[in-house]
Amino acid sequence: MIVGLFTRFERAIDDGIGRRKLGYAVLGLVIVFFLWFPNDTSQSNYAKTVFISGFFYAIMSSSWALLAGIAGQFSFGHMAFMGIGAYVAGLIARDGLMFASLGIAITPDSISSVGAIVIGTVAAGLVGLVIGWLLLRLRAAYLALFTIAFSELFRIAMLTEYDYTGGSNGLSLRPLLQVADVDTARQIEYYLMFGLLIACLLVMYRVVHSPIGIFLRAMREDEDAASALGVNVVRYKILVFVFTSMIVGLAGAIFYSDVGSERIIPEQLEVLQMSLIIAYAVIGGMESLIGAAAGAFISRYLLEAMREVVITLPFGLTMADGSDAFVWETGAWRFALFGLVMVFTLRYMRNGLLYPIINWFSGRDLIMKETVAKRKPDGDDLALAEDRDE
Amino acid sequence: MAGSDASQLTRTHGSEDMVIEDSLSVWWLLLAGPLWAAIGLYALPRSQGKIKRDERIDVSRLQIAGLIGGFALGPLGIGLFFLLPDLIRRATLILGILIAVFISSQVLVRVSDPNVPSVIWLVLAGPLWAALGSYFIPRHYHDVDADDINALTAAALGGFTIGPLIFGLMWKHTPKISRDWMIALGSLGAWQIYTLFAIQNPSNPCVQTPFQVTYLAQQTANGVVIGCIYSLMAVGLTLIYSVQGIVSFAHGQLYMVGGYFSFYFLIHAGNILSELTGTEITVNPIWGIPVAGFIVFLMGAAFERSFLKPMHDGLIERASEYAILITFGFGFVIEYTTLAIAGPFPQRANRFIEIRRFTFPRTQITEDFSFGPLNIIGDRAFAMVVGIVLIFALLYFLQRTWTGRGLRATSQDKQAAAVTGINPTNMNTLAFALGSMLAAMSGAALIPIFAWVPWVGAEMVGRSYVIVVLGGLGSVPGALFGGIIVGIVEALGAGCHPDPSRGAAYKEAFALLIFALVLLLKPTGLFGREPN
Amino acid sequence: MKGKSTLASLVVLLALVALLPFSVIHADGHCEFADEAIKIGGLVPLSAPGSVAGGVAMSWAFNRAVDDINADCGVQIGDQNHRLQIVIGDSEGSPERGQAVVERFILEDEVHAVSGVYHSAVGLATMGILDANGIPTVFSEPWNDNVSANGIMEYDGRPPRNADGVDHIFRISPASSMVGGVVVDWLLAEGVDNVVIIAENTDYGQPAAADEKARFEAAGATVTQINVELGTEDFVPILSRIQASATVPDVVRILVTGETSYNLTQQMAELGIAPTVDTICVTNQFAFQSEQYWENVPDGNYCTFNRVGIIPSLFSDIAVGLNEDYFEEFEDIIPSFAMASYDALHILADGMERAGTISDGAAIAAAIETTDLELSQGRYYFNYGNHNDSMPADDGMPNYLWHQWPDPVVTMMQYFEQGQSSLDAAVIFPEVYQTHGTGYMAPGEMP
Repeated sequence: MIVGLFTRFERAIDDGIGRRKLGYAVLGLVIVFFLWFPNDTSQSNYAKTVFISGFFYAIMSSSWALLAGIAGQFSFGHMAFMGIGAYVAGLIARDGLMFASLGIAITPDSISSVGAIVIGTVAAGLVGLVIGWLLLRLRAAYLALFTIAFSELFRIAMLTEYDYTGGSNGLSLRPLLQVADVDTARQIEYYLMFGLLIACLLVMYRVVHSPIGIFLRAMREDEDAASALGVNVVRYKILVFVFTSMIVGLAGAIFYSDVGSERIIPEQLEVLQMSLIIAYAVIGGMESLIGAAAGAFISRYLLEAMREVVITLPFGLTMADGSDAFVWETGAWRFALFGLVMVFTLRYMRNGLLYPIINWFSGRDLIMKETVAKRKPDGDDLALAEDRDE
Repeated sequence: MAGSDASQLTRTHGSEDMVIEDSLSVWWLLLAGPLWAAIGLYALPRSQGKIKRDERIDVSRLQIAGLIGGFALGPLGIGLFFLLPDLIRRATLILGILIAVFISSQVLVRVSDPNVPSVIWLVLAGPLWAALGSYFIPRHYHDVDADDINALTAAALGGFTIGPLIFGLMWKHTPKISRDWMIALGSLGAWQIYTLFAIQNPSNPCVQTPFQVTYLAQQTANGVVIGCIYSLMAVGLTLIYSVQGIVSFAHGQLYMVGGYFSFYFLIHAGNILSELTGTEITVNPIWGIPVAGFIVFLMGAAFERSFLKPMHDGLIERASEYAILITFGFGFVIEYTTLAIAGPFPQRANRFIEIRRFTFPRTQITEDFSFGPLNIIGDRAFAMVVGIVLIFALLYFLQRTWTGRGLRATSQDKQAAAVTGINPTNMNTLAFALGSMLAAMSGAALIPIFAWVPWVGAEMVGRSYVIVVLGGLGSVPGALFGGIIVGIVEALGAGCHPDPSRGAAYKEAFALLIFALVLLLKPTGLFGREPN
Repeated sequence: MKGKSTLASLVVLLALVALLPFSVIHADGHCEFADEAIKIGGLVPLSAPGSVAGGVAMSWAFNRAVDDINADCGVQIGDQNHRLQIVIGDSEGSPERGQAVVERFILEDEVHAVSGVYHSAVGLATMGILDANGIPTVFSEPWNDNVSANGIMEYDGRPPRNADGVDHIFRISPASSMVGGVVVDWLLAEGVDNVVIIAENTDYGQPAAADEKARFEAAGATVTQINVELGTEDFVPILSRIQASATVPDVVRILVTGETSYNLTQQMAELGIAPTVDTICVTNQFAFQSEQYWENVPDGNYCTFNRVGIIPSLFSDIAVGLNEDYFEEFEDIIPSFAMASYDALHILADGMERAGTISDGAAIAAAIETTDLELSQGRYYFNYGNHNDSMPADDGMPNYLWHQWPDPVVTMMQYFEQGQSSLDAAVIFPEVYQTHGTGYMAPGEMP
């Protein structure tokens, strides 16, 4: 009977659809694991904290993958939009908003933390709209150049306007949850952030697999051709830019409302943090939302693991030669190694290190093989990629 | 200070008796506009089929009309557009402007101090007219089929400086916008900002007679000196772009590592020479410049061959994205490798020359007017000379040697260059290596001037991006002038901003402001080619 | 085949090398240790955006303290000796990271106490968790006043930490107001009345500048404050502005850290703004690391700076030994936060010994309140805590004195020779500590 099962299994994975089903099953198992995880009493709250920030970075890197990998827009301003969401939500909840002569006054008391988060999200979207409108009609390099400078400016402004933003002490947002018991609170925060991740992934998946997603990929491959075919290139580009800005604005506003962290600081907006998001997405796979999300999880784990090598060395002991065993530099090497992984991934596994796995489960390679086999007599249609240099 | 002003302000406008305590109605007020806008956005395009008219209206126009109509007039607006679709075009525009005016007036009421409302007006009126001008005038040019290449820039500049007058002027003299106009308008704008600074803070040294001439000269000199050094780095970036068509995001890190190569070379060379001769010898940092340049030239060439060449060979899909990411990753690796090796402690090389500063003494010109003293730090002046010499050496190389001409030919037309026997692959490598070398050389020229840490490249490279965009991506003279302009703007911005604190902290922001303006008004930059 | 065997031997070799340190674990001991080691979490910044240099020095000091304590047979509780063990956690200078690391300390590593913290934002964000979990904590470097003041003040809408009667957080670094007090007292005694303060826009620079400005203004001096962004390299435009002002400032006070401080001081000296006969240059504790200082500020002779911690000429034997080892490792004079981190572990160990427990946080905290220890930075004690009936406010003292070591020696020092080691630099204020029998020396003067 076992042999029978095995043969059935083998037959199933020989066929693209069977594999895809298996893929869904694995995905389902992963989701069930994440849902079950907080109920594992042997795990401490710390593990939940790690997962909560893992979910947050998964949202960041998968939305960046949508923007850069699928829509082909290189923004270094993702962290800044996250910061806009969080800072606006925090400031609105603290100071309110007054349009005195108009009779509109949002006093801090009249606004709930949910309302503040909504306003923060909208603000991120609006800034995204302005920047997108300004830049998305130009070449990709301009967007990259400007967003790098923009996020620096935003960080400096948050540091400099000390009186309003708290400078480098950071800004405390109004807590989203009011649960006294730490364990329960952490449980709720965990599910909240996980729910947000799933919701964001679903919405982005919908976008990628809607006609808009097809337009986006068409534009990424050949903008002129897409525009000749009647796709309003700039409008769709702006749309997806605003969309991802709002997603990260929302994620930032929620994460810093005492869900994952109690305050947002300007250092969070430094270039390094943005580089890490990019590296997560590249390593996980820029063209797959799930790949990028998983990439964030795995890379963060690896970065921590590389650090542990240093820390678990025998502290407080001396080596045989009497010198300190603690060599701090090793901790600094991890970013260099991580960068190397990123560069080689880009060069040799463009679709990310997880691509083979995702591809296997999608069964796409089987379908492709079939197609190639059928087409063979006509010569090689799937010729090498041509030079797409501008 | 600012906080107390704000609270005073709300009191003077009587916000207390207008605060709506009931949070429900606040939400209503806030939500009503967007709500109707959403309904309009959804409903109006779907009414397309019911509209009885000969020609169909573009869906996007209907969406915008629904959005704006719903936001401004609620159900009334949506109904109006549904019944009278002919109104859509004009009414949308008018409503849009009304909304903008309304919102900006509210902002004004909120931010303006009752004591000096005119100043705020002055600040806000400029951008408002600039926006209006840059919207309408290019359209007018387009309608009359005139050459509108400078129309946008001139209109924005004119709207900013002379307000509504620009409409009359540009309507009347439609096609004749020359460079002179722009220079005149630009100077006027600069003068207005200067006046504004004077009104805001009369004790500002920029406007304080009789010192201001010396002070402005001092700040301009500061800007030119540092600007020449900025240029050197930006020239490398623009050289890479002109041949390869990519922006190197590793440029800042190559600059940083160039400084370190020079630093360690100087130390080791000094030690070796001291040992050989038996006397204490310190090597002048000028020798570090070619050494760092040479090492980074090799680094750049190796990186180009292994990671960028495949892209030009067509082995990699979507080359432009790949180029951004791979150079970015390269920079990341360099930065953290350096941090691991050199450590986080600041380091600095010896000085170039033993002159602390050059001072032009104070001279009495008339009875009540004197000029000077003017100070320039010695090492900086030396680094400026190094920068200028290197840039001119590069220009000579590009203009006069066969290889340099080959580079320029490749940057203009790859195929044509290949036909004449130039190997584009080698030219690509050469361009990247040369550009990286220039970054490293500017790093080596600056390590005697600034304390050096592994993250020192970040600030500098941000500025280089501004410079190359301002000068025009791919233009070497553009990078030279762009660097000097950015240097001067930073110096004058930090020196003349009414609030010295903000002036200092937002020093980088002034360059960024230029960035935004260039992108908005003239994305090709001063000397650039047309972008896509 | 050949390649394989080489590889295999390489792996074996590597494994042997990796095992080497472990082979000596129990070899050095002349002491009998109990099975349970005392774990102390050291929360320091070891990667950017945190101040890596600070974190490196602090973790070095922690390890050094652990070595010393264990060499002295660890911590004695009852008749058992417990080995001390430090668990370093990287805060990355970010409150969010700091919170996570502290949670890891408490839940995974099960530390008995915590020390460290360089950035005030990290301190402010982690105090609540540490206190709620009853972890006795001695912070060794955050300067923000609220780190200690929040023990008895409401903060961010939260109740004071000691609302339930026990507060587990102590601080042995100075509150920024304490440092400002000394600097301002000295400058006012020098008779300055036109002051320029250049401050970085961070949680260190801004509160310190605000505090010093208020003190100067209370004494009738005019103050111009200029804020700068950390990481700026070129200060010449801003300095030209100072130079162009109608009146020559009597003093330029620099409240900027790290390489930015060096750049600023050097450019100020190059432009001839300060130190001059008319203008006093006052930089900060970063000038104390004289090797770095002279490398980066070659023209900085005659600059004065505030120094936290015992003055070099009064270094105790502990401090001298510590400084020698530090110099060997980093080729520079030991910074105060490394000494404070070293002392913090001793204070914790001493508290545990006197409380007779390693796990009862409240008892240890109570014991630490009555600390009386002579360590590298001087004698440690705490005036205000639950052991003392009166609150600081009752005695007309500021709130930050709660659980705050009141005596970090803050002195003004001055270099008077190019390339001088800070061990030889003159202490010029307060008068009782003067080493060269002289107050401030204008450029050209000698003691």
